[in-house]
Amino acid sequence: MEKPSWAPFVVGGAFPREFTDLLVIAIIGLAGLQAYLTRFTVGGVELGFLTLFLTVLPTCTLASLSNATRKLREELALFAYGGSAWQVWAKHFLRGFTCSLIALSPFLSLEIITTGYSVGSRSLLLVLAAVLGGTFYSGPSLRRVRSAEFAESYKA
Amino acid sequence: MTYLIETTSVKMEYPHSDGVIQLYDEGVSLRVDPGDFVAVLGGSGWGKSTLVNIILGLEKPTSGTVHFSGEDVTRSSFVKRCSLVKTGAVFQRPTAIPQLTVGQNLNLALSMAGIPKGERDERIRESIAFFGLERITRAYPESLSAGQRKRIDLARALAIKPQLLVLDEPTGDLDTSASNLVMPLLRGLNKDHGTTILMVTALPRCASTAHQLLHLKPPGFITPSKRIDR
Repeated sequence: MEKPSWAPFVVGGAFPREFTDLLVIAIIGLAGLQAYLTRFTVGGVELGFLTLFLTVLPTCTLASLSNATRKLREELALFAYGGSAWQVWAKHFLRGFTCSLIALSPFLSLEIITTGYSVGSRSLLLVLAAVLGGTFYSGPSLRRVRSAEFAESYKA
Repeated sequence: MTYLIETTSVKMEYPHSDGVIQLYDEGVSLRVDPGDFVAVLGGSGWGKSTLVNIILGLEKPTSGTVHFSGEDVTRSSFVKRCSLVKTGAVFQRPTAIPQLTVGQNLNLALSMAGIPKGERDERIRESIAFFGLERITRAYPESLSAGQRKRIDLARALAIKPQLLVLDEPTGDLDTSASNLVMPLLRGLNKDHGTTILMVTALPRCASTAHQLLHLKPPGFITPSKRIDR
């Protein structure tokens, strides 16, 4: 026997493939552009990044909530195959993180190049936005599989 | 003595708009030895599927315990239970990942069960041939009928060659010919391969195949006033 492998499911699910993922990339990309170009600060906080964070959170949450019936079917199957809640979380986290990173990668690259290939605070904020994207993308799924109603879905 | 599965006085309560529904009034106490074929028979809404979920760790009982190979797994997940007893599950509602083809679904299930890569293709071929799914190996589950999806579930559960097979209404959604195929198959699996089978069904005809039969009783209903009296 080999060690049970969940990697195909988790990693395979990381790549954006739905229309809503394209929307996520477009919206976060626009917010990233604004964050990159805007240098206004209030109390030491760059307003552009504040807007970026405030855009990433609802965008990723709503994208994750879209097509919930299909996602539920997928999660039910994963559990039936011997999967677990953290695998579902990991899959959706990776998807949200990947979408956000794709959207922000041009600005992240520019930031790294303009700072002489060093990782500055603005680069870290962009990475943080991508991590938040993954976290909020995975939230609804984790809530769904941990809910009391989840197991009810196995019943016809 | 250590049983493969043992449930002791398992009870379940569900909140309801007018009170609480209580399943298994006297508690379900079930002992399954390796190689047993157990059927749980009961009517619609009597808690058959809930019992499957409790045994698989997808729902937690209100009271009572569940042991797998002597270990208390009442609060443990399905994954933990599978690590103790290699378990294949077929649910009442067909379950397959919509964006993967039938073949890919089977391959993923085998990979998650730890079947070596070199063995997977052969096992998939065997299962697919057995259930007559050759023509739909490359189809996506959502394009198939409920009966075909049920057969995919059965093929997937059997492909991992489980120690324990838990089935919720195995002949549900199947036409007569497919249904007639399933019961002898389960008998053969149990008799020839020693696979332990736990099946819930509403059909006495299917239940009669088993060595051990458990009859569920209709659920009780606890009204709020009765609960206060207690």
